[in-house]
Amino acid sequence: MLSRGDSETRTATTAATLDQMAQTLARLDGLRTFLLACAAVGLALAVTGVLILIAGKNPVIAYWAMIKGAVGTADRLAFALNKSTPYILAGVGVALCFRAKVINIGAEGQIAVGGIAAAFVALYVKLPSMPLIALALIAGAIAGAAWSALAAFIRLKRGVHEVLCTLLLNFVGVLMVSEALNGDMGEPGAGFPQSPLFERAAWLPKLLHGTELHIGILFVIAAAIAGHVLLWRTTFGFRLRVLGASPQAANYVGISAPRCILGVMVVAGALAGLAGGIEVLGVHYRLIENFSTGFGFNAVAVALIASVNPIAVLPAGLFFGFLEAGALAMQREVGVPSSLVFVIQGLTMVFVLCAIGVGARRQKV
Amino acid sequence: MLEMRGICKNYGSVRANRGIDLTVAPGRIVGLLGENGSGKSTLMKVLFGIVAADAGTITFKDKPLTGHNPRAAIAAGLGMIHQHFTLVDAMTVTENVMLGLDRDGLWLNPHKVAEEIRATSRLYGLDLDPGSLAGNLSHGQRQRVEIMKVILRGAELLILDEPTSNLSPPEIRGLLDIMRRLREQGRGVIFISHKLDEVLEICDEIVVLRDGEVTGHRAALGATKADLAQMMVGRDVTAALAKSTHAPGTPVLHVVGLSRRDDNCVERLRDISFSLRAGEILAIAGVDGNGQSDLVDVLAGLRTATGGGIDLDGEDITFMPVADRLAAGLAYIPVDRATTSLVPAMSVADNLALREFDRTPFARHGWLRPAAFATHAAERMRHFAIRAAGADVPARTLSGGNQQKIVIAREIGRKPKVLIAFQPTWGLDPGATRFVIDQLLALREAGGAILYLSASLDEVLMLGDRIAVMYGGQLSEPVPRAEADITEIGLMMAGAMPKTKAA
Repeated sequence: MLSRGDSETRTATTAATLDQMAQTLARLDGLRTFLLACAAVGLALAVTGVLILIAGKNPVIAYWAMIKGAVGTADRLAFALNKSTPYILAGVGVALCFRAKVINIGAEGQIAVGGIAAAFVALYVKLPSMPLIALALIAGAIAGAAWSALAAFIRLKRGVHEVLCTLLLNFVGVLMVSEALNGDMGEPGAGFPQSPLFERAAWLPKLLHGTELHIGILFVIAAAIAGHVLLWRTTFGFRLRVLGASPQAANYVGISAPRCILGVMVVAGALAGLAGGIEVLGVHYRLIENFSTGFGFNAVAVALIASVNPIAVLPAGLFFGFLEAGALAMQREVGVPSSLVFVIQGLTMVFVLCAIGVGARRQKV
Repeated sequence: MLEMRGICKNYGSVRANRGIDLTVAPGRIVGLLGENGSGKSTLMKVLFGIVAADAGTITFKDKPLTGHNPRAAIAAGLGMIHQHFTLVDAMTVTENVMLGLDRDGLWLNPHKVAEEIRATSRLYGLDLDPGSLAGNLSHGQRQRVEIMKVILRGAELLILDEPTSNLSPPEIRGLLDIMRRLREQGRGVIFISHKLDEVLEICDEIVVLRDGEVTGHRAALGATKADLAQMMVGRDVTAALAKSTHAPGTPVLHVVGLSRRDDNCVERLRDISFSLRAGEILAIAGVDGNGQSDLVDVLAGLRTATGGGIDLDGEDITFMPVADRLAAGLAYIPVDRATTSLVPAMSVADNLALREFDRTPFARHGWLRPAAFATHAAERMRHFAIRAAGADVPARTLSGGNQQKIVIAREIGRKPKVLIAFQPTWGLDPGATRFVIDQLLALREAGGAILYLSASLDEVLMLGDRIAVMYGGQLSEPVPRAEADITEIGLMMAGAMPKTKAA
């Protein structure tokens, strides 16, 4: 058992080979992920291009119309950025949850209740503009966090899987918006479930004069950076990474899984609730029914395309926002149905997930 | 009916089977004895076609069996009952038996199968109700469903892999009766076990494996437990390690009456008491699954004791959280590198600081300090000769030996008062094994107390200043290495506990 000899030499040789492989891999890690994502986008565009061809249109013209529609003018750019805002804010939270292997798909409901809370403050609290907006957004974030914490409690106390409780609470959250609008918060005689228009004081300030671009994009950048720092530079982020990589190791280290799960769900819920508040105060200036439809799904998609890296949620979310902004222009100018954009989104996600699946064993946490 | 000749199987440089012969005649029960790693499971995997042998021939019912897969082995008439059952709890006995019983083509015929189950049940004394849900059955009954499955699939040779390890004494009696009925019906049985009593009672012949070779083959009649234990472990154990002799210091760890029942109220640990002195290695031998993992987890704080107490250097740590035990000077090397002691996807530096990441110098007020991780990693990698491309590559990219060095560096590097080492050389090559052992001895020299648990008797005898045996959740009275009788230890590992402390 204790004889040194040829086996040790062999071990040394194997170790040297492994060393080289590891070095190469480490250098390529970041670049690799980025290139993979680009390749997935390219592939999705190519496949959709074939679909456009089958529909009898020129894909090059269609894509050009789409690009112009997304970034052609300052207005269009503003529209696209505004559209990305909720996806990225909620997506950063989802990415953090997924890191800890907490499958939170409840962004939609959290955005909805965040919107209700922000609208409530905007409608009923009398304050000067800045404090009012701040209070409304904080209320949105708190409501979203509470909604998310509710799901976490059901998960931790009753053992219901978080996929189930976050999903089901989505329906409740969205219906609570309808409930509010059909009740006291609704605009009398509007004929549509919506609240009265907020006072101008409650409208989010514009970032660029003459466009619709509101200050939400600043929150987005801050959230992506904060998410990155939280994950890689704090002990809380370290706990999330260990828990996600191996629950047994987390137990061995003495990390409390319930506290991590509750913590990360609260953070994600607050971000989603903030997104709801920003959407209501910055885009619609009122609470409207179904304002959050599809946001939760896109937040999950964006987090996955970013391979659950908070900072990478930024480009992924922008990509989704620009696609959707360009879709209408494409439909208007070339006659290609805008629903093809959902095909591009779906395909991109599938291709990215395939690429991640291939490289998953190489990922570092 | 079964003839295996000259079976050889190598895993890399490990020679798991070297020219094993095994013959089973119809209506005979053959006991297969051997320590962990003696080659029993490899031999059975070869027989079942799970792995291919490097050399040797298998003949079953006068037909050669080569290049087969498990499906072909079942079709040929082999049936394996594993230690871990494969039943669907929400299905009835009949439905479970029907899974994989594809002889009726597309159509299911539950009534016919239920009738067959009743008939077979009577014939072999299995006492099974076809309509009961598998989830409601006891462990012994579940095992009988597994036996039913292989009989109805037409198995003529049954292989039972340590079938008695989780059974209560009456259930064991029942199982032995069933095996006698199988023998009466002319079926062959291979009975894999560590328990000498049972093997002697039920088997017609006994084959003993050690280090991949047959070291004994004899009729059960007239064999004694001492003979078998000698064949199982008998080897030159005089080549003890050059270990300094020094008087151990003061006791640092006291364990008194430690007990644990799991969630199903099964007793995992029974009234375990021992003390551990500074500069001493207490080595605990035992076959896997006799409560070792419960003992180390309770000591390290990963599971809670349901009785008794643990005292570390004057401090009661029985209910102390993991992190505080660590700070109190208790280090722990768990058995499972892949999921517990390492996070393979995290960097070497993160893994080296894994158990202290939220304490100074690695963190301050909730913020990580990457510089501290890097300095610490560089120092430990140099001191413990960890070969890696850098401190920031994932631990997964390192060889098994270097991964274990990370764990050793982390746990021993902080100079603990007490180290719990649970099979720390598991799966390592000789060079890495030597490194681990050298590090343990260095810690002992420096006055650390070590609790060493291993299924390898070699290592236990080599390292232990005192030696104890764990069996069925109990611990024998530790005896000094010089007074340890190897045959007696072998017997105790197999269930004869002459030195068990009175409760």
